[in-house]
Parts: sequence; C-alpha cells; structure tokens
Amino acid sequence: MSQTDTQSSAQQQSPESEQPRIGVYVCHCGGNISDVVDVEEVVRAVAGLPGVVVARRDMSMCSDPGQQLIVDDIRNSKLNRVVVGACSPSLHELTFRGALSRAGLNPYLYEHVNLREQVSWCSKSDPRGATEKAIRLVGVAVAKARLLHSLDPIRVDAKQHVLVIGGGISGLRAARDLARCGLAVTLLERSPFLGGRIAQLSHVYPSRDDARGLLRRILDEVMADPNITVRTGAEVVSSSGYVGNFQLQVRLHPRGVNGDLTSEQLQAVIEACPEAVQSEFDHGLVKRKAIYRPYPDSSPSAAAIDWTTCTRCGKCAEVVDGESITLDAEPEEITLDAGAVVMATGFDLYQPRSGEYGHGEFSNVITLPQLVRLMDETGPTGGQLQWNDRPIKNVCLIHCVGSRQMPGIHEPGPDGRLNEYCSRVCCTATLQTALEIRERFPEINVFEFYQDIRTYGRGHEEIYEDACRRGVTFLRYRAEEPPTVSGAEGEAAPSLAVRVKDTLTFGEELEIPADLVVLSVGMVPRDIAGLVETLKLPCSADGFLQEVHPKLRPVESAVEGVFLAGTCQAPMDMTEGCAAASATAAKAAALLGRGHLELDPFVARVDLDRCQGEGKCVDECEHRRAITMVETEVDGERVTRAEVNPALCNGCGMCAAVCPHRAIQVEGWRLDQYDSMIDALVADYPALEHANV
Amino acid sequence: MQQGKIATDALVIGGGIAGLQAALDLADQGFRVLIVEREPSIGGKMIALSKVFPTLDCSSCICTPRMAAAAHHENISILTYCEVQQVDPAGDGFTARILKKPRYVDEVVCTGCRLCEYACPVNVAHEFEGELVARKAIYVPFSNAIPQVAMVDLDNCLLCGRCEKECPPGAIDFFQEPEEVTVEAGTVIIATGFEMTHMEAKPEYGLGRLRNVLNPLQVERLLAPHGPYGRVLRPSDGKVPDTIAYIQCAGSRDHTLGVPYCSRVCCMYAIKQAMLLSGSLPLVEVTIYYMDIRAFGKGFEQFYQNAKAMGIEFVKAKVAKITEDEQQNPVVRIEVIEEDGRVEERAHDMVVLSLGIVPAGHADGVLPASRAEDGFFLAAEPKLAPCRTDHEGVFVAGTAAGPKDIPDSIVEGGAAALEAAAHLRRNGRSPGRDMNARQESTQGTLAQQAN
Amino acid sequence: MAGDEQATTSRILILATDACAYPGADNVGQIHSEYPANTYIMRVPAPAMFPEEFYLRCFEKGIDGIIVMSCGHECPYEGAYNRLAVRIGEVHKQMKERGLNTNRLRLCAICTVCAKAFLKEVRQMGELLAGQASASS
Repeated sequence: MSQTDTQSSAQQQSPESEQPRIGVYVCHCGGNISDVVDVEEVVRAVAGLPGVVVARRDMSMCSDPGQQLIVDDIRNSKLNRVVVGACSPSLHELTFRGALSRAGLNPYLYEHVNLREQVSWCSKSDPRGATEKAIRLVGVAVAKARLLHSLDPIRVDAKQHVLVIGGGISGLRAARDLARCGLAVTLLERSPFLGGRIAQLSHVYPSRDDARGLLRRILDEVMADPNITVRTGAEVVSSSGYVGNFQLQVRLHPRGVNGDLTSEQLQAVIEACPEAVQSEFDHGLVKRKAIYRPYPDSSPSAAAIDWTTCTRCGKCAEVVDGESITLDAEPEEITLDAGAVVMATGFDLYQPRSGEYGHGEFSNVITLPQLVRLMDETGPTGGQLQWNDRPIKNVCLIHCVGSRQMPGIHEPGPDGRLNEYCSRVCCTATLQTALEIRERFPEINVFEFYQDIRTYGRGHEEIYEDACRRGVTFLRYRAEEPPTVSGAEGEAAPSLAVRVKDTLTFGEELEIPADLVVLSVGMVPRDIAGLVETLKLPCSADGFLQEVHPKLRPVESAVEGVFLAGTCQAPMDMTEGCAAASATAAKAAALLGRGHLELDPFVARVDLDRCQGEGKCVDECEHRRAITMVETEVDGERVTRAEVNPALCNGCGMCAAVCPHRAIQVEGWRLDQYDSMIDALVADYPALEHANV
Repeated sequence: MQQGKIATDALVIGGGIAGLQAALDLADQGFRVLIVEREPSIGGKMIALSKVFPTLDCSSCICTPRMAAAAHHENISILTYCEVQQVDPAGDGFTARILKKPRYVDEVVCTGCRLCEYACPVNVAHEFEGELVARKAIYVPFSNAIPQVAMVDLDNCLLCGRCEKECPPGAIDFFQEPEEVTVEAGTVIIATGFEMTHMEAKPEYGLGRLRNVLNPLQVERLLAPHGPYGRVLRPSDGKVPDTIAYIQCAGSRDHTLGVPYCSRVCCMYAIKQAMLLSGSLPLVEVTIYYMDIRAFGKGFEQFYQNAKAMGIEFVKAKVAKITEDEQQNPVVRIEVIEEDGRVEERAHDMVVLSLGIVPAGHADGVLPASRAEDGFFLAAEPKLAPCRTDHEGVFVAGTAAGPKDIPDSIVEGGAAALEAAAHLRRNGRSPGRDMNARQESTQGTLAQQAN
Repeated sequence: MAGDEQATTSRILILATDACAYPGADNVGQIHSEYPANTYIMRVPAPAMFPEEFYLRCFEKGIDGIIVMSCGHECPYEGAYNRLAVRIGEVHKQMKERGLNTNRLRLCAICTVCAKAFLKEVRQMGELLAGQASASS
C-alpha cells in the first residue's frame, strides 16, 4: 500500500500521522441487510485487515445505541478512522459523521459502505455473492479509510457589501431588499437618472397602477435607506476577485449640475442650451437639450449634462452666473469591494430595420413604446393621439416585431443573431394599449395583427377579453407570411395600408387602411459586453445573461457570487423582475450574512513536494481560473508552483487527471485513495466459512 | 390525542418546489424553518414529472437533491402527512394548529425496506402513478420519497396483520393516534401549490369515463423512466399508441369551468410530452389542438419551433367533444379555425387533456391571507412585491399565487424567503439565535423525519 | 454455462457520479431489481478526475470491465463531461494498442431514476465478459 503517499499528503499532525486504528461496523438494518448478506462473515473477514482494531455488527447502527457504540469505541479503543456498512450514504453518511464529531474525531475520517441499496436489495437471490461483494466493498472502504485525513470546511472572509449594477426597477428592488437583510449596498446606474424603463410608462398592466407612482415608492425607500449608497453616472470599468471578495473599478462621470437650481433657473438653463438631441426618454419623438431632465419627477431631481452632446459652450452656466454648473469636471475612478454583485442591467428595445413594416420609410409607422409615450398625459403630446395634426381613424398594431424571428424569413440583426425568442410582455402591453385607445378614443378603430396571443399572466387574459369586447379587431398571420405595410411613395406620412392573409377568415387577403401603424417591438439583450467580459459571465444563445441552471437556479449566474435580476437575463415584466430581484437578495443574504463563506473542503490541493510548476492544471482549469502559478521558495530556491483558490474551485478534479506528478488532488477523493481501493477490490479475502451462505 | 409544541422562525406551508426553495433560502440565512406538508412526502408535483421543459432535464434528478438538501438542513424541520387546521396571528407572530395524521407506522423506526409491501395482500390504485397501476394498502409513497417510510392506507387495509409480522424493526402500529401540534412562528409562507382543473364540469371531454383520455400527470408517469408500465402504453388494452392528440386549454380560459385565466404551463408541457412521446415511440403521430401557443419563457419559443420541425402537428381548432369508437379509440370532434373552418371528427389512439391549474389548499379562513376571485392568494402589491399577501408577515410563493412553471415558482420561493426574513428582522428576530432551543423543541413528540 | 460461471467470477467496476448515477444505482436497489453481485460501485464526484493510466492500471490489476456512469450533459461540473468523453476516447485508443477489447470500458449517462438503463449497461457488460471468457476457454 502507498503509505508514503499518506505521509506526504498529510500535513496535520494527528491523527493521520499516527498508525490507522480503524473501527468497522456492519449494520443488519433489521434484516434488510442481514437476511441476504451474512453479516457475521463480513465482520470476520474484515477484522483481520491491516489497521482494523474493532469490527462489530449491530441490528441498527443508525439508532442511538448504534451510534453510541461508535462514540464509545473511539474513546475507549482510540479509533482514528471509522467505516460503517449500512444503507445508502444519502441516508446516513451525515448521521455517522456527526457521531465522529461528538466523539471528538474529525468527521471526515469516516467512510461509508452501501450494503443495502447496492448489495442486499439488488442481490436477493444470491446470498453468497452478496456476502462476498459486501466483504470486498468493506475492504475497499477500509483501504480508503487508511488514507483519510482530517478536513475542515474552508473559511473565506466575505465583504458584507453588495454592488447592484443597474438602477431600473429590478436594481432598485434588489438594492432595497439587500439593505433590508442588513447588507451594505451600492447601487450603480450608468445614466444620470434612476428608474429605468418603468419611468417611461404611464401605467402598468394588468392593474393599471400608476407606473411612476409605484416607481416613486421604491425610489423613496431606496433614497431613505441608510444602508444604500446610490451612484449615478457610474460605469463599471473592470473587475477582479471572486465570491466574497470582488473588486470593481468604477468610473464616475460628473453630473455637471448640482441640485441647487430652482425650477425657474433650471427652465432657463435648459432654454439657454443650444444643443439638442433626440430624447431617449420619449423614444426620439421629440428632442431634448444637452442639459436635461427626462421628466419633472426624475430621480435624482437635479438635471444632468449629457457630455456626448454638450459642447461646453458655457451658455447654461452664464444664465446662473456659473453657480451650480461645472463644465470642466473630469470623470473620477474609484474601486469598490463587494462580496457579491447583482446584475440588473436591463434590456434594450428592438430597433426595427429600415423598411421593416415601413419603419423609417413612413413617419407614421412607430413603435409601441413610442405610442405609449404619445398616450401618456405627461408625454410630448399631452396624451393626445394625433399624427402631424391629423386626426387618426385607424390604428394597426403589429405583434412580434423583432421577436420570434425565424431563419429564412427574418434577417439577422447587426450582431448576426436572430431573435428567436418570444419577448413575453408585448402581447399584454399591446392589448392594454389597444384597449386604452378604444376607451379613450372610441372613434378610433384598432386592428391587431398577431400570431398567438400570449396573455399568460395573472389578470392578463381579462385584458384580452376586454379588448375583444371593446371592439378591437384581430387578424392572425402566419410567421411565414407576415403582414406588409404600404403607402403612397414620396409622402412622409401618407395614408397607409396593412395587407395580411388572415388565417381567422380562412386565409382571406385583407387590406386595412391605417393612419398609424404601431410595431410591437420586443426586448433585446443590452450591450454590456464589457461587463460580461470582465466578470466572465456566460450568455445564452439568445444573448441574454445565462443563469447557472435554467430550472433550479434561475437567479444565479455561473460565476459564484454574481446574481441576475430582471431583464438582463430574459424578457420579463415588472412583477417578474421584482420577484427575481428579491430572490437575488435572499441568495446574497445567505451567502454573506455571516461575514465569511464556509466552503466544502472537497477542493483541489497542491502537494508542494511533488509540484514541478509545469502548469498543466492551470490550463485545464481555464474556465474557472481557480488555479494560478505563484512564486514560492522550496529548499531555498525560488520556484513556480500551482496554487488553488478554494473559493473558485468546485472540486471537479479535471486538474488531478492531467498532473503528471500527482501533485494536485481533490481532497476526499484522492487518486491514491482510489488506487488502494482498486487494490482492495481485487485482493484476496478469507474464504467464507458458513455453508449456508 | 397527543400534543406537541414547536417554536420556529418561519412556518412554510407546503413542501413542493416553491416551499422547499423558500425554506432553504431562509435556513441558509440562519433562520429556523418548519415545513408542513400535507402529503406523506415532500417534493410536490415536480417529483412526479418525467422531464422538464425546455431543458429536458430529468425532473426527479433535479428535484431530489433539493428535497435532500431541505431534509438534511440543520435549520429545517419537516412534518409530512400533516394538515394545517388553523393559523392565527398571535403577538408579532402566528400560532398554527397542525394535525399530524397517523401513518400507523413509526417513522423513526421504519427503514423503508418495503417488506410490508410485499406481504400486503391488498391492491389499490396508486395515486402517485396516476392510478395506472396498483399499490398495496401499506406502502412507501414512491421510490424517492422523503421521508422514505411506509404508511398504512387504513381505508383499504384488511387488518390482516401480515405486514406487522414481516416488519423487521416492528415499526407498524395500528393504534397510532393523530397528534396535534401547535406551532409558534414569526412568519408564514404559503406554498400550498395547485391541483389540475377538475373536469367533472366538462363531461363532454370524457375524462374519467373514456379510458384512453388521460390527464397530463398520468402521461408524465408513462414517460418517467421508472413509471408504471416502464413504457408508453394506452390504459384500455396496453396497445402502443400510434396517434396521440393533445387538447389545449382543456380547463383553462374557460368561463364555464370557472377558470377564465391562462394556466401558463399547459402549452409547454404538452409540447414537451409530445416531443418525449415522439422520442420513445418513433412512429407515433402527435397532434396538438390549440387556440394560441403560449411559448413565452426563456428558450420556450425555440422549443416550440423544434417540436414543429420534429413533425408534431399543430392544429388551431376548437374541440367540441370527445367520444369513443368500438375499439375505445377516442374520437375528437373539432372545428378547424384555419384553412376552411370545417368541422370534422378525428380518431386517435389516445387523447391527453391539457388540464389547467387551480389552487389547492385550505378552506377559507384557515390561513390569515385573502384570496382573489380566482381562488389564488391575493398579491397585495403585485407589481413591486409580488409575494406579499394582505396580511403582514404572511407571504405566498409558487402556484398558490397563480399558475406558474418551476423556475418562476423557485424565483418566488426566494422572493418570499426574502420578505419573510425582512419581516423577522424587523420584529427583532435575528438569524442563528438560540440554536439549542431549537434542538429541544423539535425533539419529543415529533419525529425527526429527515434522516 | 461455463461462460456464465466465468462471467460471475469476473469483476465489473462501476464509477458512478455522486449527483446522478450513484443515486440511480440506489434506485435500482430501492425497487429491488437484481443484477450480478460481481458488480462493484465506487462513488466519484466527477470521473473527469481519473487520468488515462488509471483505467489501464485497473485492467492490469484484474478488473475485467469498467462502466463509467456519468451525469452526461446534466453534469454539474462545467466542462467535465466533455473532457471525460475525450479522455475515454483516448483510453480506448491506448487499449487498442495493448490489444484490449475497448468494449471493456464503457461511458454512459445514468440519471437518478434510470433503473432500466443501469440494468441494461450491467447486463451488456456481463454478456461481453461472459462471451470473452467462453471464447478464450
């Protein structure tokens, strides 16, 4: 046996530096094992194995007296390893490890043998074979036990501080919930204003609650929370570290304006600014100035300067005599330490291609988010639905624009990707808008061109039913034959016509005249390539951030300590985004609540006596980057050796397979242990004595 | 009646996937959690599924570790086969009265060896297997049940005593009495889950009357690797089906059944089952009669398009009724909505009704939170904090708050755990306090069911 | 019959993943399905940890057949399954060079409730070894 391995791998003093003193216990399991396996034979056969000092059997090892037997033997017979042959380890491995702990022995000096599920129950008609198998399996466990050594959970200090990236509804919800768990939070928003997409809505389906009212409530909570620091104009530049100990480099862009301006002054500086650009808040329906505030109740309430538009002409500053406006501030870089990161970076809207359903060709082909702004009473038209001062008679809404795209029918986007997914929120959002048009402007006819109506959520189907009742007309098209939009050439906003082969009227070709065509554009993944790169986050085929397991671990990314909240992961509505945000907070609270992480000890460990610094393990672990080469001193010489970061190692052992010197091994599952287990499996054991077996 | 008392931080009602997630996320923060489950095992509906959409992971394989994690967690105690009788506010927390139903088997002593099952002479339709095969009157609920212990179905037991004679540890106790347990908890999470739409109100679809008209949970069992027949056969005569039809929105979006809403998972489970059926029966033709295909989740639309590419037929049609011919083949009368709008009858070897989701759970007034008109628990702040009910300190997760799929339920489990933790902290309960008190309180009358 | 005798004295090693195949093997026992007692299961987190020489040494030491029961694409360790598949292919090459029947090392995926697939793998390996034994006798 490889005794030398044991000694070289064991660094702690006791008990592994002592000779192994192994106790073996075989359970009858009330007959479940002993009716098939001759337990007495097993005990007799293994009692003589090297290192075994106690070998016993018991009717029920998991019972209190059975466990006490182990505790007493550890104390009285100075056992330093324990093997129990009983039911599956899934049932009682932890039970017996607990018994070792109670007796003062390290719980990892324990090996479990599965004699019930994998011996007696599957060999009922072959008691002799089962008994021989049991002997070999106990022998295998004894061989492993000889090479066991103490292990301790790995403790890694963790910062009780979480960075939330993104100040939309999911980021706000996550920040507030993290703070409610007693964690310190820094909320980073790239733009100068919080609130994200919800601020652009007038009300949310299906309850028709005031969207900005809801947003205001969570914003007030966040702003009042002493555990939350909000940074707007904050851009993550790079990151390093790992779970519990991330460092993020953040660039803070100056706001240019401080909050002391009165509303009259603000009005005046905005008027003074000569530079205008399309308003992202109003989806380009109107322009805004380089110094701006997206809407009156914005948060923060101070205006900001858009530095890509601003020419630093100083006209704004002149209005207020240079007070409260700073045009020469430079971005500042800070480093933030964090135990965990919540990604809440949101989505982008699909931008229709030029000519797609007449978009870009006719100005009266707009998108649903634009229509929502037009219908908003605080929007650019004060909620009046009109186009170029012309009354609108027919509105045609086309679903699935930029969603459910199919190869051969749709053209890939600029990144070469088709949006094959459903954007999930557009059906209900479109229906809600259609219904609202019919309610507020009953003289306007509304037509919806759809493939499937996906009103899946609670209260959504009612909106569909209401829209039907209120006289919205539905036309169904097949993905292969989408509707076409035409208009008189040369006119910017002509009378349009939408043609469709309507499958609801058995494929009849219909042409609907339209004054306004509205495209229900889907959600697309936001371009956060820099963040994805620096945090090493995997993305799904659809371009959104990928969760570690789509079914069971929906809010965790594959990078431990990085969580996903909201639409950075997939299209979702406000309810779903908030639920995901809260769930990430629960995960982060569990992770960081104690101020340190306790990790399983089953991670790779380097044997410095054997490592030659070749670095094969480092290459093999490229995907997790848990192993690095470090300079160290061996026998007075400077050498390079592998080092494992246990916080990043998941114990897969791929490194162990490639090391030519067996210098890196997964604790608890070492190759030297397997070698002696194989030796024990093929070894000779005493012949069975009992004839009845 | 024996009585017991448990003090805990959080009471989670329901041990399905949403309840388990909520319990784990609270326990991982250091709070003590008691899960009370009505059925004899935790795992809910998910543990009975074959594979899950759209990943086609084996459901049991991903559910069992969650069940085990909860069962082994030092901060989680589990009571199975228990009925919550009343939960009332008390001080800044709640008092719950729980009835622990007798299994007639000592949970601590039983090793789940099943010798009793082999000895029992009684055969009864097996609920877990969709009543497609039999179980005994004494039985372990299913192969990966937690706890892995037997129970006696006294309604069907002959009291012949054979199991008692066979039981190695002598775990069977016909004199077991119900126990009443009082739980004091700082917060309550309702995760009582769902049932499939009751189709008695729609006799024209023949569920329960026509033998080859199945409910989708039965098909899940047919498709499970350890299912009742070990392969896909139709129930009436054991024939391998050549044509199978799915009727979508059977029990959803239907005012006549009192289920006007969309049940949200039926499109996807039907597509998934159709794909799995095509995989295990290479010659089978599967037709899905639908109104709208709602493949809205992450990766769902791609899954749907794959199913179409595999040759699964999607027909937009209304199904008027289902009858059967002399060979017990279900005959579906449909009105085709597309093409020419014809009405026709199509015979299939087997028909599956894509039933919807209705709330399971308790009589009104048992739990201190209001339900909406649809029977699901009311979300007081549906947009900002979807897990809050209208009673402070009571939260809801998973399908108890409306139809949803597994990941959405898991997300809500996490969100409810967050709300519950915040509530506990606000009331001065910090995690990880008096661990010794917990140990004492769970001992005694209550079995430590988790191994 | 002689072949059967031989087959039961041969030894099959199953390397079963902790997450999938090991509980799958437990499931076989839970439903009390039988398979030959010469089948020995060892638990392993990810078989990707075994180097090529490990398998070859097992054969040298007297293991007759090895079934690596993995989680397949449900492997909880990122990249490990693909790595394992490549490595098994590599071992097969080396087995061929040494004149060993490559069917004696099998890679398959077994889930927690794949009792049938488990039994099939064990049966097939048993038949292979029995066939080899009778051919050589």
